[in-house]
Amino acid sequence: MNQAGAILWAQWRIGRSFFMRRGIGWAAIVSVIWYGFWVAAAFAVMLLTSSPIAGSLGGVFLLVFLYWQVVPVLMAATGASLDLRKLQAYPIPVGQLFGLEVMLRVTAAIEVILVLTGAGIGILRNPMLRAWNVLALLLFGIFNLLLGVGLRDTIARILARRRIREAAFFLLILCAALPRLLLTRRRSFIIMTSKPWPGWQPWTATADFVQGHGQLRSLAIIAAWLAAAGLFSYWQFRRTIRFDAEAASARPSSASRTSGLLERFFRIPSMLLGDPLGALVEKEVRFLTRSPRFRMVFLMGFTFGLLVWLPVAMGRQGSAQSFLGTNYLSVVSVYSLVLLSEACFWNSFGFDRSAAQIYFLAPVAFSRVMMGKNLSALFFIGLEIGMIALVCGLLGMPLSPLMLAESFSVTAVISTFLLAAGNQLSIRQPRAMNPTASFRSGAAGRVQAILFVVWPIVFVPVGLAYLARYAFASEAAFFGVLALDAAIGAVVYKLSLDSAVAAAERLKEQMVTALSRGEGPITA
Amino acid sequence: MSDFSRDTTPAIEVRDLRKLYDQKAAVDGLTLSVPRGCFFGFLGPNGAGKTTTIKMLMGLAPPTSGSIRLLGLPMPEEGLAIKRQIGLVPDESLLFDHLTGGEFIEFVGRIYGLERAVARERSQELLNLFELDDASRKLIAEYSKGMRKRVAMAAALIHRPQLFLMDEPFEGVDAVGARLMKDILLEQVRHGATIFLTSHVLEVVERLCDRVAIINEGKLVQEGSMEELRGSSKTLEDAFVRAVGVGTMRETLDWL
Repeated sequence: MNQAGAILWAQWRIGRSFFMRRGIGWAAIVSVIWYGFWVAAAFAVMLLTSSPIAGSLGGVFLLVFLYWQVVPVLMAATGASLDLRKLQAYPIPVGQLFGLEVMLRVTAAIEVILVLTGAGIGILRNPMLRAWNVLALLLFGIFNLLLGVGLRDTIARILARRRIREAAFFLLILCAALPRLLLTRRRSFIIMTSKPWPGWQPWTATADFVQGHGQLRSLAIIAAWLAAAGLFSYWQFRRTIRFDAEAASARPSSASRTSGLLERFFRIPSMLLGDPLGALVEKEVRFLTRSPRFRMVFLMGFTFGLLVWLPVAMGRQGSAQSFLGTNYLSVVSVYSLVLLSEACFWNSFGFDRSAAQIYFLAPVAFSRVMMGKNLSALFFIGLEIGMIALVCGLLGMPLSPLMLAESFSVTAVISTFLLAAGNQLSIRQPRAMNPTASFRSGAAGRVQAILFVVWPIVFVPVGLAYLARYAFASEAAFFGVLALDAAIGAVVYKLSLDSAVAAAERLKEQMVTALSRGEGPITA
Repeated sequence: MSDFSRDTTPAIEVRDLRKLYDQKAAVDGLTLSVPRGCFFGFLGPNGAGKTTTIKMLMGLAPPTSGSIRLLGLPMPEEGLAIKRQIGLVPDESLLFDHLTGGEFIEFVGRIYGLERAVARERSQELLNLFELDDASRKLIAEYSKGMRKRVAMAAALIHRPQLFLMDEPFEGVDAVGARLMKDILLEQVRHGATIFLTSHVLEVVERLCDRVAIINEGKLVQEGSMEELRGSSKTLEDAFVRAVGVGTMRETLDWL
């Protein structure tokens, strides 16, 4: 394992020097809160499994499986992985690279590994179960690691192909949404975890083994799944190594970038705004529209929001009178904000990478630059919500001017607070992002952790508006509180902008350095 | 002849400039004066402090101590006024990969305050001048290294600056491209502009520059006209090697 050891050593050195220069304050706080929550969940699972277990654990392991395999795809963040483009130049055996890549799948779902650990400790403490039942958890974990490599490689290759990227992702979302749709109906959930498929799924076989039901048969099923996942992942990994991403994403030389309707679309901001603001927003619109990653999250916010939240809102429990049923448009709109948030709010200089230095070199006040970024974020958010509303209308969903007004105003208020928080983070925690990589290499958990910490705070003002509507049964009260929120949001935004601009002047050297930073052999 | 050189204050005036990184001096007491209308070469071995100096001149890195005046104005106090008159070619990383060459140049023009129509027209003309018109609709991400340098230089020219700060502008550029870029830069100097460039290509510096400074370990070790610098040496390379004190290979390795 000489080469694998060298790769890990190089990555460790890169990570160490990066954190020594940048500090780990924010990352540490977010991690403590986020993983603290999951440690608590693991403790709860430990309590569940350390006493006699009523019913099947199949549902728990199904959720673990879905979190491990589906959530990274839905959050477009699949965890750390090897940068094969760089490493292929060196004489490293494929087996070692594959082994490392399997290990790195741990980073895609540290949360559920904590939960499985809790379950394992519980099983060891359970007097009704034998200690070796824990073996099933270990095999289930390895199965997920292997499957994760195969799925990630397959999806990454599909998304690298220029012509089919968006279409492929649309199909992927449909597939990913399927379990979510099934989970909204208890009957479907039961079908997935028990009859009429008696125990051959990896999660039910794991549960059977853990609970001591037909252990030989369960072990054989788990072993078969493990072998299939191993073959699949190794096959996909080898295909990825041979894959020519540049050729797959190449454009025909005759293709035009600036034709017709698209060019008019790009010029919209400049028709409304004077320079330099117009130029800055137009640049952002051109740039983000062409970024595969941004296009993907834009599409995800739009399609996944509709596919997942509409059935929930309109499902068996989601009658027209439920909260989701009456506010589905706002819920889908806010969900799309979540997906757009990284590029639009938290790391608005990330896609510019080292080119962000132009903002410090050009004779433009930095507040204008930040406003340009913020206005382009609002432009895309408005576009996204407009498209969601249009499709809802075409699908015959209940849609009224009031619902539209609610959706746009709720999103606008939340966006104001998000921009205030995001401007601070974009300056203080900038991170170079590859606009051509459809998947983020950071773990989905990190994205969720930020949401976990910041979003509850950002939702408070809007929550108060909904509370006012509920308490006074009045739309006027709802919109009145929203108006007040908007006024407070504007003040908070202004204060945050001034502070961010001052910080940018102070931290510009560190910012440019952080945004110019290349990645190591492992992209994390 | 000269459009810009009526003002007699130096284009660049640096006094006792110092930049410390964790107590280590990247630039250590640099004092330098670059007259207007001069083609100035700033040389030094790797890690000598050239890029740090140019970053401080551009306002990207604040100096730990010392003063900078560009075109007679103090930096950073008059930062915006200075930036309006400067053309920059920091390095190729300045470019936005997901814009086409034409879009990037137009964007820079508008950022520098040109009217949209003027920026668009000049962008097209600059693409033609730098022989990039065939690639005008390609994304910068698809450009070769030399093409990226040409775009960066074209963008630096769009607002007709008085002073150019260029970090390795000829790096990775082929002979034809380099010739084109040299001609354009010489034309700018003839019109009174001042050019301050760093380069490792000593042959280029020797042919283009009126004055040269050599920096080593953060300190200025030599400065003067090309003739003064060469002194008794045949070439600039000999003078450079002598100035920075680097000898020939001192020892061999058994295994090599």
